[in-house]
Amino acid sequence: MFKWKVNITSCLLLFSCAVFAQRPEFVLEIKDHLFYPAEIHIPKNKKVKLVIYNYDATPEEFDSFDLNREKVIFPHRKSIIFIGPLPEGRYSFFGEYHPNTAKGVVIVDDTTTVNQPLEESSHVD
Amino acid sequence: MRLFISFILCVISIAKVQADSFVVDKVYHPYVLPNEQEFEWRLFSRQTDEGNKLAQHIAYGFALSERVMFEAYILGERNENDSDDYGLKSYEAEVRWMLTEQGELWADWGALFELEKQHDSNDWEATAALLFEKEIGKTSLTMNFFMVYEWGDNSRESMKNEFRLQYRYRFLPQLQPAIELYTGHNYLGIGPAFMGIQRFDRQKQLKWEMGFIVGFNGNNKDNALRVAIEYEF
Repeated sequence: MFKWKVNITSCLLLFSCAVFAQRPEFVLEIKDHLFYPAEIHIPKNKKVKLVIYNYDATPEEFDSFDLNREKVIFPHRKSIIFIGPLPEGRYSFFGEYHPNTAKGVVIVDDTTTVNQPLEESSHVD
Repeated sequence: MRLFISFILCVISIAKVQADSFVVDKVYHPYVLPNEQEFEWRLFSRQTDEGNKLAQHIAYGFALSERVMFEAYILGERNENDSDDYGLKSYEAEVRWMLTEQGELWADWGALFELEKQHDSNDWEATAALLFEKEIGKTSLTMNFFMVYEWGDNSRESMKNEFRLQYRYRFLPQLQPAIELYTGHNYLGIGPAFMGIQRFDRQKQLKWEMGFIVGFNGNNKDNALRVAIEYEF
């Protein structure tokens, strides 16, 4: 009986750790060579997962010197970028394939709004 | 942090004792971009008491997948001020593998594999390297740990270590100053480096790097200049 209790406690502890280890998720969409939303607020000093859906028929490259990230997002696919932990500030990004239209900014502040986790499929319609 | 510094010092001391040709070269980052193609040119000039040694690399590379990049090199070299001696030295094939997603873990990891053959002899060199990069605010610490195995008709079969470190400040895209450290092949060198990137249309961009590395090998002069230009498209 004691063994069972220990095992259940261990499982709960592991599960709790897994929950705590989940990164806050934020969603960004690419439609008609534009980023939606063009402004994303993320919490300061926290690593976050940016899930980017490309609904266009052409690839796009998320590029940001401020965030030190470069990532190709294939047409009708989603891609994940991890950013942070960052201090408060504005961090601009753009789409390398359409730099004149695809522009946006990550604003790091005290916001705590976190999007719901997304489905696992990497294909988007 | 103490453990980390001890580890680096340990790597430096091991490499310094065990190795014996030149180590100043590119510090590799553990990242690959899909659809990427590139042409690359590198120049090395090593000035010692015996004279000047020049080497050039010309390469073409392309991404095989979202995480794997292949690059083929032609290497030319001129030995110790003999200007007639400049010629093709060897060929090299290289595969760079991005092991982790950038920013997902505490640090980013990659692997590098190279196979080099001397042009005019049956001598070979196989290299495996672990690539490490850690983002610290506006700076990036990059480290490469190399294991080099040599064999062939004129080479004594041997295994050697190399270590390269670059601590870069991401000041502007076009200008990023850095400090670089190289050990291996009985060489320990440290010096400043500068690098940058200029973007053009779409994936077209020009990357440049220049470093001046001073050797700390007793009283002997051993300085190196390295230049690299990459055109990605």
